[in-house]
Amino acid sequence: MASPAPADSAHFIAHKGKFRLFGLTLDTCIKVFFGGNAVVSIIVLALITIFLFREGAGFFGQNRQNLKVYREAGLEYVDFIRAQQDDHTALTRYLSDLRLRQFQHFTQHQHLTPAAANAALAGFDEFAGQYGDAVEPLRTLVSDLTEQATAIKERFTVMEDRKTERAQLLAAGKAQAAAEVGITPVDFVAELKPILGTLPAYREASADLAKRLAGIVAAAPAMPTPELQARLDRFRQLTAEYLAGFPAVARNLETWDYRRPVPATQEFSAFLFGREWVTASFWQDWYGVIPLVAGSLMVSLVALVLAVPLGVGAAIYVNQIASPWEQRLIKPCIEFISAVPSVVLGFFGIAVLGQTLRALSQQTWLAWVPGFPYSERLNILTAGCLLALLAVPTIFTLAEDALNNVPRSFKEASFALGATRLQTVMRIIVPASLSGIISAVLLGFGRVIGETMVVLLCAGNRIAIPDFTAGLAVITQPVHTMTGIIAQEMGEVVQGSIHYRALFVVGILLFFLSLAINYAAQHIVRRYRISIG
Amino acid sequence: MADPTHHFQARPSALRRSESAIFWLFRGATYLVLLCGAVVFLNIFIKGLSTVFQTKAPFVNTTFLTEAPESLYVFEWQGKKMEMGDKEFRVFKERNPAAANVKSESYVYCAGGIFPCIVGTVLLVIGSMTIALTLGVCAAVYLNEYARDGTFIRFVRLAILNLAGVPSIVFGLFGYGMFVIFFGWNTSLLAGWFTLAFMVLPVVITASEESLKAVPKGFREGSLALGATKWQTIRKNVLPYALPGILTSSILGIARVAGETAPIMFTAASVLRTQLPWQGLTRWTDFFFQGVMALPYHIYVVSAKIPQNEYTERVQYGTAFVFLFIVALTAAASIVLRTRLRNRYKW
Repeated sequence: MASPAPADSAHFIAHKGKFRLFGLTLDTCIKVFFGGNAVVSIIVLALITIFLFREGAGFFGQNRQNLKVYREAGLEYVDFIRAQQDDHTALTRYLSDLRLRQFQHFTQHQHLTPAAANAALAGFDEFAGQYGDAVEPLRTLVSDLTEQATAIKERFTVMEDRKTERAQLLAAGKAQAAAEVGITPVDFVAELKPILGTLPAYREASADLAKRLAGIVAAAPAMPTPELQARLDRFRQLTAEYLAGFPAVARNLETWDYRRPVPATQEFSAFLFGREWVTASFWQDWYGVIPLVAGSLMVSLVALVLAVPLGVGAAIYVNQIASPWEQRLIKPCIEFISAVPSVVLGFFGIAVLGQTLRALSQQTWLAWVPGFPYSERLNILTAGCLLALLAVPTIFTLAEDALNNVPRSFKEASFALGATRLQTVMRIIVPASLSGIISAVLLGFGRVIGETMVVLLCAGNRIAIPDFTAGLAVITQPVHTMTGIIAQEMGEVVQGSIHYRALFVVGILLFFLSLAINYAAQHIVRRYRISIG
Repeated sequence: MADPTHHFQARPSALRRSESAIFWLFRGATYLVLLCGAVVFLNIFIKGLSTVFQTKAPFVNTTFLTEAPESLYVFEWQGKKMEMGDKEFRVFKERNPAAANVKSESYVYCAGGIFPCIVGTVLLVIGSMTIALTLGVCAAVYLNEYARDGTFIRFVRLAILNLAGVPSIVFGLFGYGMFVIFFGWNTSLLAGWFTLAFMVLPVVITASEESLKAVPKGFREGSLALGATKWQTIRKNVLPYALPGILTSSILGIARVAGETAPIMFTAASVLRTQLPWQGLTRWTDFFFQGVMALPYHIYVVSAKIPQNEYTERVQYGTAFVFLFIVALTAAASIVLRTRLRNRYKW
């Protein structure tokens, strides 16, 4: 605190307090200056929030418009039928998988030559071919409708562009030029008429498909083994379920109305719970964050599963077990690892680790590991391993601090009661510092989920929700992550477009996720700290 | 039971065996981590050595360290396979008119060197650390010397803690939104400086505060007792003793600033600039408003954005080697200096 001298004080401090700025003494000025610097971190945090929202907030309005056009231009209508077609495609994929299994059975167990095996499969191939061709009328219908709907959407977008053009001209004060920009509003009723008029044609195609599929499936050839026969039965069942869904599709088409308003919550839910992230598509762009969140979480999970035992184990070893010279050696080395730039690790993943892990997965003696062998070089596992190396120093340093904070008396008391070293470590020291260790793990999680370069380079960058039905083998699939998508697409988007804003919203999500993790870590430390004294 | 040679000597038992087994498990975890780190280091050092060093005098590949990236041209000439950089190839074509129409394949970024990247990284580090140290040390002085516990200080500390956890890509987005677009600085050195400075600020503040805390209370009390003002005390009796500690701890911040790619991707880094930052400026202010090449971004570009072939590996490993060397040197310097310092001041 500044202590301005009283006016009648001795001469030797007379020079103090002469200087005045806005009525403040020099010392107070200096204090205010330093205080101002301390506020910078609050200001930066506020600025981050403000600017993320400034660029990102417009997304939801644009997304609403996006969804509205999807409905009004009839794209939604076409997608009902397209979904039906896509389900059929999924079933044909099941059939080709079944063919592969039969082929393997013939060549490996019955020792037929590939040519003979193919000959044995001729009946099945005919069946599969018929099954696949049955959807042809429906497919023709869908592709016609796609063209029409795209044309409507195109017209609408052109009109929207002209509207902005006119608004810009008006803003620039060129009323004359603005009036010349021709705008004819899209008449959705008239435009949609031909699309809606195809309903009888759809009914016919659908009924035809149902009849043909039922006939084809009934005449399916028999399978060589009971196991494959069970799969075929499952296929029959799936087809029956598929056929049972037809009336629902027809109902959807009948009751569909382009005027039905898009609910206000949908612009948020379509983002937060959307299962597709499709951009720059000719048909319809979707900004659903679920695939990215799932990718980020999967990669972080793998990284933590590897990093937590290693990091905490190393911390326990260095703090409790290692000799002093080992301590002096290991601690700087692990700190040194934390200085490795993430882009170098990512490069290492691309250049070395990806191939090495894939080669390892193709060893026969490792075939029992779920997901092995795999062919995608860059996947969750590769990125997870590298991120683990990034997270270990964080977890190690913080966990070691937590172990260090356990008072010596705890340890001494435990020894005095006759406990062994292991008992002391596992039952006294670790539980006493558990809150610190958990917060170390949480902060490691925060470090991993916010990491960009490693996942951008090594996670495979396929935008899809990982297929969790594969069990543990899911870790060998490529994914895309929240951080990766920002880094990858930010450089290519048009400033102010919906895509650009969507990336900022992903950034907002990341920002608040990291704040939440930080808060949880601090809360755990404060709440569950063992009182020492 | 066997007769022990001494009453207090440890006897082997199942408990003891399991104890030592579990201890070995922990030891194994520790050394596995070190091993993984060593593998990464050695891989890049060994493969990078062949790009950066050569067997002939002067033993260091000066082209790689002092020139800008170029395209590599590979062609057949008089039955020999030739590899040449862009400039060299042009000179070669002028000397041999017959080679004017020789069929060649070109590979981007595979020839030349990485000098602009090194310069860019150094500039980014110097600028952002200057900003971060100014702000960070002043903030730490306030927190440690002036502030009394209260709501305001709690908020400041909370902000610092939270700022430390914000992902680097979010800083990149923020820098893009604020400096590049709102302030209209475009992709520039200045935007990169501020983005990186704000990112490293919590590290600097925490390090500075720790160094300030290490200065004994007696120093301040003695000074104040002699009639010095608060500021005189801080300037003469606190900062001089804390400064070495602040600087060494901040070197870790330097390693972090130099190593980050995500924040500079949209704020400061350019894919290719053959001119060095101080060349071709029309006004001196243009210096701050130009993009620069940076080592980490260059690694990203050559390892993910250009088509991969047999020639890219050289430049990839070479760049990674130089980059890792610089970062490792700063990190090692920080660690060594810190241990030295700990032994120097004892009070």
